[in-house]
Amino acid sequence: MKYIVKKLIMMAFTILVISFVVFLAFRFIPGDPALMILGGQSSPEKIEALRQEMGLNDPVMAQYLRWLGGLLRGDFGVSYRYSMPVLSLIGEKIPITLFLTLEAFLLMVVISIPLGIYTAKYSGGLIDRVLVVINQIIMAVPPFFSGILITWLFGMTFRWFRPGGYISYKVSFASFLGYLFYPALAIALPKAAMAVKLLRSSVLTEAKLDYVRTAYSRGNATNDVLYRHVLKNAIIPVVTFLGMTLADMVAGSLIVEQVFGIPGLSKTLLTSISNRDYPVVEAIIVLIAVIVVTSNVAVDLIYRALDPRIRAEE
Amino acid sequence: MGVILDVSDLHIEFHDHEKPETVVHDFDLMLEEGEIVGLVGESGSGKSMSAMAIAGLLSRHEISKEGKILYNGTNLLTCSREELRSYQGKDIAMIFQEPMTSLNPSKRIGWQVEESVRIHRSDIDAKTRKEMAVTQLSRAGLPDPEKVYMQYPHELSGGMRQRVMIAAAMILNPRILIADEPTTALDVMVQAQIIDLLREINREYHTSIIFISHDLSLVNQLCHRVLVMHHGRVVEAGRTREIFRNPQKEYTMKLIGSIPKVRLDDVPPDRQEMAGDILSVRGLTVSYQSGGGLFRKKQENLVLKGIDLTLHRGEILALVGESGCGKSTLAKAVTGMNSRYSGSIELSGDRPQMVFQDPYSALNPSHTIGWLLEEPLRIRGGMTDADRNARVLEMMDMVRLDRELIHRYPGQLSGGQRQRVCIAAALMLKPEILLADEPVSALDVTIQVEILALLKRLRAEMGLSILFISHDLRTVYQLCDTVAIMKGGVIIEKGPVNRIYREPEQAYTRQLLKAAGIAVPGAAV
Repeated sequence: MKYIVKKLIMMAFTILVISFVVFLAFRFIPGDPALMILGGQSSPEKIEALRQEMGLNDPVMAQYLRWLGGLLRGDFGVSYRYSMPVLSLIGEKIPITLFLTLEAFLLMVVISIPLGIYTAKYSGGLIDRVLVVINQIIMAVPPFFSGILITWLFGMTFRWFRPGGYISYKVSFASFLGYLFYPALAIALPKAAMAVKLLRSSVLTEAKLDYVRTAYSRGNATNDVLYRHVLKNAIIPVVTFLGMTLADMVAGSLIVEQVFGIPGLSKTLLTSISNRDYPVVEAIIVLIAVIVVTSNVAVDLIYRALDPRIRAEE
Repeated sequence: MGVILDVSDLHIEFHDHEKPETVVHDFDLMLEEGEIVGLVGESGSGKSMSAMAIAGLLSRHEISKEGKILYNGTNLLTCSREELRSYQGKDIAMIFQEPMTSLNPSKRIGWQVEESVRIHRSDIDAKTRKEMAVTQLSRAGLPDPEKVYMQYPHELSGGMRQRVMIAAAMILNPRILIADEPTTALDVMVQAQIIDLLREINREYHTSIIFISHDLSLVNQLCHRVLVMHHGRVVEAGRTREIFRNPQKEYTMKLIGSIPKVRLDDVPPDRQEMAGDILSVRGLTVSYQSGGGLFRKKQENLVLKGIDLTLHRGEILALVGESGCGKSTLAKAVTGMNSRYSGSIELSGDRPQMVFQDPYSALNPSHTIGWLLEEPLRIRGGMTDADRNARVLEMMDMVRLDRELIHRYPGQLSGGQRQRVCIAAALMLKPEILLADEPVSALDVTIQVEILALLKRLRAEMGLSILFISHDLRTVYQLCDTVAIMKGGVIIEKGPVNRIYREPEQAYTRQLLKAAGIAVPGAAV
């Protein structure tokens, strides 16, 4: 319990530091937001007046604290470009990207754990050898390309889904998840291939350890040794990998959204970057940071639950 | 007494390489009820393989079909796997050499001890199962078995883990217990306790035990009968007493001859005249900090508490104690690997060079012997290639390593040869002091004898002083002039070997001597 509290404090601290660095970075990037809003033809007086109004002449620290205070109240600031609150600009898009990422993550787990165990159990067999080769190929394919392949294969050749036929979660949540399946698969496949390889080698390494021999000496059948003894130890390194992958998958989602025409955060982020619409970009970066840090804490907690030696180190 | 296990014509072959390699030939064993049989031999003799075959732990295609392992009228080599499994853990149980790794690190002790019951006796409910496990843990000599039941392996010491392994093996009261080097990885005192426990199990439950060991004196203490194995064959078998008193085969004689003997009544071996100090340690205190962090205060742990020690020129001084007594910490401070200490370490000359316990992991496997031996000279610099090469050859002659080996890699050498390489590497810079940390305990007995002889010769020829760290009092008696007994970071007793072995003053020293099977004259044991 104490450990969890400690972790949560560390997590809050990390997010605070990230938010500060992000805020500071955008203050130092050349370009005057007031100028950008009003355009090049405006008079210097007008620009100065707007700077004053936006608080851009205050000390950086005061600006940061004002921004941070807003964040904590759920106020992400106002878009320079659209002059509307950032939250109403991205609020409806957050769940789309979030669900795409989560669905991809779940697909990866569902694909990789059984396949990892299977290939380890029958290592050296025909299916294992074929899968190792397929794995090797899939691992090398970036998500946007696997996205294109999947669109071509399942969308245009087999017609299992209609490319571009995105259905909003407000219309039908089930159809929404259904449409996300193929983009999620595009994100999940390369990562799943890595996870299969990792789990396979982890199981094979564990299977050589002395305690496995002890388990056999008590009359355990092969499957019991695998599921009751080996798996829990073998999955520990894989958990670390899965946690790191979740962060990668957010980035993967942003790219794949473009390929499949999903109106998530991706488009907003790209236009905001080219428009120098900093409040929007800052909000999205902080959001991604929160997801990454939270998933890391989750990994630590799962790790701790699996491995008693980690618990002992406190 | 009836025969409980009848093994005949056991052949074991490995097919890992292109050519199948036979590791056990014609192994026969008749095990009687309530009997303890010792399987003795050096590494690679096939003793563990034979035991694993009996326990059903080798894959069947490695065992020739002509052989038989008859238990209860069933041939374990040809019966169905289900039938084999029905005996494993219930009728035939096994404990292993490495208690540190033989338990599953992520499962509670209780779960592991109960496992055989869960597998073989589904009629027993969870509550009774727990009672059985706690009873066994307590019988195996674990204090507070209820607590141990809930603990994880990493929370226990090596000795405690081996007791847990024994409790788990004994929970269904098997008729045969196979113990594969169960004490090799443990401290002497703990070794003696585990041997006592096995003897007790044999007496109380009439469990037949197959005891595998390379330590002949342990076998002599425990076993009724002995099988001596060499190169995969049983070379001699018989009653323990007869084999030890009157060995028939040359190999058996050699094995028995290599047991370090301590005969306190003999004329003491020649001890060198000591001239001058070469290493002088005064008030050495080392502590390390543990715990600590953002919110907690660090804790100071004293590992060495004011050590005073003097090594004379040409002396071989033994540091003896159990694991955790601070021996290795002392070695680190003396060799300069740890500079965070208080007190003084005065050396006349260079830092001592070290030789480590495990010659298998101490040498970088990706370089040739010649490269490894040259390394200290290269680092120091100032020598031509030809000079360096000459020195390497000179040193190889010195430690009796064949010059041909200069282009070989460590993996192609035997354990004894590798330890010679380690010693040669330590001597390349001609240090005056050699620090040897358990240099023979990972080696076979016959090789141990050779390495000890080498160290003695180096002392005589090079005037070397040696600090010899060991837990084996019998080896120490063979080699050393002086002995310092360490316990809990303090030297509790030191003096000439002859005096300490004859008239130990401390009770702890007496216990160590007793555990090593050395009878102290006049001491009430």
